[in-house]
Amino acid sequence: MIDAKKTIVVTGIGVISPYGIGLSSLRDGMLRGECCLRQATELYPGFEGTVAVVNALPPPVEGHHYSRSDRLAMAAARDAVEGLSGFDLRESGIVMASTVAGLTEIDPEISRGPAAWYRHGGLSRAASYSVSRVAASVGEHLGILGPACAVSVACASGAMAIALAANMLLDEAAPMVLAGGSDALCPFTLSGFNSLQALDQEPCRPFSQDRKGLNLGEGAAVLVLETLAHAQQRDARILAVLRGWAMTNDASHPTAPQKDGIGLAACIERALEMAACSVDEVGYVNAHGTGTPLNDIAETHAYENAFHGRSRPIPVSSTKSYFGHCLGAAGALEAAITITAMQAGALFPTLRLENPIESSKVDWARGELRREPLPVAMSVSAGFGGSNAALVFGSHSL
Amino acid sequence: MKTALPVLTGIGSVTPYGPLAGLISAEPLEPSVITAWATPGLRRAFLVEPFRPASIVPGLKTRRLDRLSAWALVASSLALRDAGIDLGQMDRSRIAVLFATGFGCVELTEAFYQSAATNGWAGTDPITFPETLSNAPASHVALFHDLRGPNLTVSSKSFAAESALLQAASLLRYGQADMAIVLAGDTLTQAVYEWYEAAHLLSPACFCNEPMSAAGGFVPCEGVVAMVLEPVGRPAAHSYATLGAGCWASGGDAQARVRQLLGDVQLDFTICAGNGAPCASASLTDSGRNLVGGSVIIPARPVATGMGEAGGLLHLLLALSTRPGRGQALLSGASAHGGYAALRLELS
Repeated sequence: MIDAKKTIVVTGIGVISPYGIGLSSLRDGMLRGECCLRQATELYPGFEGTVAVVNALPPPVEGHHYSRSDRLAMAAARDAVEGLSGFDLRESGIVMASTVAGLTEIDPEISRGPAAWYRHGGLSRAASYSVSRVAASVGEHLGILGPACAVSVACASGAMAIALAANMLLDEAAPMVLAGGSDALCPFTLSGFNSLQALDQEPCRPFSQDRKGLNLGEGAAVLVLETLAHAQQRDARILAVLRGWAMTNDASHPTAPQKDGIGLAACIERALEMAACSVDEVGYVNAHGTGTPLNDIAETHAYENAFHGRSRPIPVSSTKSYFGHCLGAAGALEAAITITAMQAGALFPTLRLENPIESSKVDWARGELRREPLPVAMSVSAGFGGSNAALVFGSHSL
Repeated sequence: MKTALPVLTGIGSVTPYGPLAGLISAEPLEPSVITAWATPGLRRAFLVEPFRPASIVPGLKTRRLDRLSAWALVASSLALRDAGIDLGQMDRSRIAVLFATGFGCVELTEAFYQSAATNGWAGTDPITFPETLSNAPASHVALFHDLRGPNLTVSSKSFAAESALLQAASLLRYGQADMAIVLAGDTLTQAVYEWYEAAHLLSPACFCNEPMSAAGGFVPCEGVVAMVLEPVGRPAAHSYATLGAGCWASGGDAQARVRQLLGDVQLDFTICAGNGAPCASASLTDSGRNLVGGSVIIPARPVATGMGEAGGLLHLLLALSTRPGRGQALLSGASAHGGYAALRLELS
């Protein structure tokens, strides 16, 4: 028996991605198998690499200084609530994830003398530094007065924002919560990942045996979450049910994932347990799949462990092969893609996956787009610091 | 789903009062003179005096860490010690870590910018980069104590600490963790201090050796406070308080929401909190008086107000350290932006 007050549903999705604004641009681009990764040299002197850039960002709001991450978040949030009715948006909550936040607005000159940099125009730019600004910007943009919170847990942030939002709904902290993530490309992160030699100069090849690293992208996604009771009360169109969510930590290394993927496997198992879902029911896993040598093998082991009881291999793909790794936004974008896959009955293949990691328990989705009903699907995220998150989505008919 | 209310069983802190387990003296403090960077004249703040983390937590290695991560490790260790918890007897996959911060690892972020200014973006330091991420302190806490439950770093414009407390309570309530270590803190750097100064947010007490007064502005503070939360029913060394329901919001009718939160509860104490905004302390005290009539007002302390978004736990620690006695309390904060936070507590 479903408890409508304790069932969390998704009733809106807003996206800004390298495909443009709106979920339909993302869906159509991915259904076409279009890759947004491009060679770039202009991001900072000396940088040569492959990235995915958002070109559809609306112009800045006059009289306000919002960071690029803020503006991506605002665009996605606006898109998420457009067309929704029957509720007071002001009472909603906001949970936004970001890792970059206002770093896009700060340049190295600050380190030569902060006071002088502030006097020369840096004061308002630096005001956007805190990650909490991303959530606050969405609130200001949409006139939301409910609880606002930002999550910064590296590349698992976006998924964790959705998990925290779900908990807030169970707590009745707000009747509806906008949850997602937003991160912009900036020299700080490009330089950081480059210094770690984590970037592939060419378009990335997640789960390939000859993978060389990740590509960075940018974007934002915001999900409108509410209880089933609230959604039914306002006669909302239900896009998916968030059946289960879980978060764990590897506690094994500051940056590298646990080699055997045990922590991530535990996270997947907990999310499935909460969803009251058997391993055989899951039709698709949208993987973290960064394309780095360490992540992808650890993640493969995690799927082998978590889904070991399945009657057939678990279908897995990484959609980072389409538009790179959007860091704090990745988990939210991939949650949106997972729901889109369920709605379209389409299992998005990993692009450029010709020579996959050998596994008898994982069914690597690659090559042609696969069409099949997906009543239950999962989105998995992981990040620096050993953090893991897993979200289980189901169709509303379940 | 579990419904037991979480109990605050352990406290550890690294603040201008020093690294301490449990309650602190809570004597009023005067700010210290800043010497860590060249200032254009006298500049003061509530600063953590340097100390050797390994002298507090034997075996703790912090040479490669920034102060925020090192303090988080010390504060979490002291909180666990205060709670009398033997982690060896616990299921560490069920222990959560929640870290609230306004600026995250700003020291190493500045160091990374410094390396970019010196060597160009192509010559930045790969060791520093991962440590600039805001979740590095919480990750180090997980790594050091082998805590494999949910690990979250949150930031909320005015109420990061209060938000983290409420999120931790939710994890316990819904069986997503059996215990949570909630931490809140920030470090003060030249770039942060000079930003406050350029934005005209600082108290006159930052610029002279006069005692603190109630004049406008705030005196920035740094440090980390850690608190152990666990469900009712487990024998523990302490039970400082039981957390009830709470709320926080960016605006709207705070008094109506807080009245709804309190229901029929008759408050004995109102613990005032503020986020560093000049008007916050006064407005929330008035708000508290309006709401709770005759309850004892425990005023906000400048040292906690100076910690900004992450100050909520220090406000709570300082209030508990006044040993107010048993009773129903409300941790109540307001921000200059119209936001508010409120958390019901039963003081033990």
